[in-house]
Amino acid sequence: MIVLLAVSLICYIIFRSSGDPAISMAGQYATFQEIEEVRRVFGLDKPFYIQYVRFITNALKGNFGNSFVNKVPALPLILERLPATVELAMSAIVIAFVLGVGLGVLVSLKPYALRNRFIMAGSLVNISMPTFLTGILLIMVFGVYLKILPPFGRGETVTIGFWRTGFLTLSGVTHLILPAFTLGMYQLAVLLRLTRAGMREVLTEDYIKTAWSKGLSPLKVIFKHALRNALIPVVTMTGLQFGELIAFSFVTELIFQWPGSGNLLLTSIYEQDQPVIVTYIMLAALVILSINILVDILYAILNPKIRYD
Amino acid sequence: MKKVLFLILTIIFLGSVPALTGQAVAASSIVVAVDSPPRMMNPHGSDADANLSIMANFFDGLMQRKGSEGTLAPALALRYEHPDLLTWTFYLRKGVKFHNGNPFNAEDVKFSFERLSDPKVSEFINTGKTIASIEIIDDYTVSIKTKHPIPWFANNMHQIYMMDKESTESRTVGEVQQVPIGTGAYKFVEWVKGSYVKMVANEEYWEGAPPIKNVELRPIKEASTRYAALVSGQAELVSGVPVELYDKLVKNPKLQVINKPARRSIFLALGNKPESPWNDIRVRKAMYMAINEDEIIEKIMRGHASPAAQIPDPPTIGYNEGIKRLPYNPEMSKKLLKEAGCENGFEITLTGPNDRYVQDEKIAEAVVKYLAKVGIKAKLDVKPKAIFFPEVFQGKLDFYLIGWFDGTFDMGRTYFKLIHTRDKEKGFGSLNGAHFSNPDLDIVLEATASMVDQEARKKVLQYINKLATAENIACIPLHYQQDIYAIQKGKGIKFQPRPDRWVVFKEISK
Repeated sequence: MIVLLAVSLICYIIFRSSGDPAISMAGQYATFQEIEEVRRVFGLDKPFYIQYVRFITNALKGNFGNSFVNKVPALPLILERLPATVELAMSAIVIAFVLGVGLGVLVSLKPYALRNRFIMAGSLVNISMPTFLTGILLIMVFGVYLKILPPFGRGETVTIGFWRTGFLTLSGVTHLILPAFTLGMYQLAVLLRLTRAGMREVLTEDYIKTAWSKGLSPLKVIFKHALRNALIPVVTMTGLQFGELIAFSFVTELIFQWPGSGNLLLTSIYEQDQPVIVTYIMLAALVILSINILVDILYAILNPKIRYD
Repeated sequence: MKKVLFLILTIIFLGSVPALTGQAVAASSIVVAVDSPPRMMNPHGSDADANLSIMANFFDGLMQRKGSEGTLAPALALRYEHPDLLTWTFYLRKGVKFHNGNPFNAEDVKFSFERLSDPKVSEFINTGKTIASIEIIDDYTVSIKTKHPIPWFANNMHQIYMMDKESTESRTVGEVQQVPIGTGAYKFVEWVKGSYVKMVANEEYWEGAPPIKNVELRPIKEASTRYAALVSGQAELVSGVPVELYDKLVKNPKLQVINKPARRSIFLALGNKPESPWNDIRVRKAMYMAINEDEIIEKIMRGHASPAAQIPDPPTIGYNEGIKRLPYNPEMSKKLLKEAGCENGFEITLTGPNDRYVQDEKIAEAVVKYLAKVGIKAKLDVKPKAIFFPEVFQGKLDFYLIGWFDGTFDMGRTYFKLIHTRDKEKGFGSLNGAHFSNPDLDIVLEATASMVDQEARKKVLQYINKLATAENIACIPLHYQQDIYAIQKGKGIKFQPRPDRWVVFKEISK
């Protein structure tokens, strides 16, 4: 709660000191008096602390204010776009986790094999390459030259209740591949390196040697005994990254014209739509906080030695 | 577990590949990609051209602008009269229906104009507040009185869209923002924010049903993605092609690239603040002559611009053929600076947006370098338009890059904004951010407000233009932009760009 309050206060201060939304809301031919009137109507003429207190009291009631641009409540506006972002982030994290951990285990078994050195070098390139470059390269290769994957957008979607999903149509899934890879690429490399480091440490432990000498099958040794113990930092990282992927997917969303909430955030920043920006940041803070709590719970399941009293 | 996931992913990956490529589009439909997303479906809620352009398909104004010349033509009004300086009488078209079946009549016109002055739903409050009264004479005749004479009132009527009184009042503000109900050539189907807007032809359109039946409008903000959409065949018409990609597109045999000289001119606003070095006209002249505009057009705009000697473009009332650009001449510039006692230069900050005009940031960078060559220490300060424009309004700047064109084709309204002395009482000069002031010019300009005779207006506005641009150098004009579009060849798309950069689908055929 305190974290959220602090976040909201910082946002508010930043946006109040940069630019004046009333000017753009009054239209390009507005006179000075007309701009003043707009400011009055939207309560932007009130002192800063009154605006802030009003925002907080309304927010506690679940009302985050109306968007200056769309004139509809900001929260539903973001929630409407959230499914696209969550699906993108989920796909990205699944790709990152599966490939990252898989390749990490593979590499840790024979760290000096040529193939594995290639994988490690590739992961280094991945970590250092900015997302927008990865995205544009993928679009150019798969969308423009090979023409096997659509370069932008979300494809056809199916609406289930309030949730608009792209998982259920072929076009939706194919549209997801490039952006999900782009978004997950960095995370993949991080998880790979983390898994490899953890596995290499665990594999030298005595109990693993015992397991081998007992004649257990390699699968059992690697996955049940070694990986499970190496996985704890990896899971932490994945959890933290998932929150970040949801909150900060906007670069990928921009490049692929993905209709998610990150894209909305960018548009809102350009248009100085403060209620939407503040609500978005609060929401992002909330998501990251709750994922942190979830990760702590997962910890306990993975490693029964950890107990929260 | 891991293997299973792997397997599933592989299957999805392989299974989807063949189905992806050719998405055939039916003959009477079109996919259009534009560079900025619609902000809302409320036709009065945004005066940005990007939004007005989309709304032009769902709604009609009393008048419209047609084709590549942008000529004013009747739309929902058959004709208008202007019996005295303050009165405008519009005779409405009969038998027009809104998309929900409601008939269009004088009540709707009154309602729409009254709605303009409500800041909660309108960005046209300036237009709304200039109206004194709206009188319904009969079902198809409306008489509008303005508070003071507005010679360009009818010229602006293509931007003021008519809404249905009944359905706008009965729905919530939020619903009206999402689902448009107009009289336009296309009916709204679906808007998935950030993805697309789908619309279908209005078969009962008063001008006859439009040739293309289904339109999918896709906003793509990122330039390279727009390029990918075009090259991969996912969009058939793209507006806002970036100049950097122009050469690549021209070489592509599947595409046709269309250039259209744009109405917007780019200029550097320069005030004459007392006590500043540039209060001296010789210094302003020197700055003008220090800038190599031909090189800007060639290197930065890659040839996609034409030099401008003034703010208005040729079809605008007030354009003066007699005004010529001062030649690029750094030697002369240095001489003038010396005469003015500024041979050691001075400091000035050039501000500009970095996300508004074609290559805006690069142009500003170049200008700073040209000024440095004659000894003027110009500092560069570029920022997003959302921060830049308020600073112009607040009059914080000395020297800035900005672009302009007047939607009414009459410079009267624009000059009150851009070069009239800043005057909060009268509401003039709100975009004269560099504090240019010339009392003589103000007097002549205020006199044009009640001047309706087009010939006389033209002469006076041309005079004002000359006074401001040539004699006083209130700004340094740079160039007129070009709009660049690209279409897929071989699909028989007939498209003629408009001067205002709107994409009006009823004007496209296939």
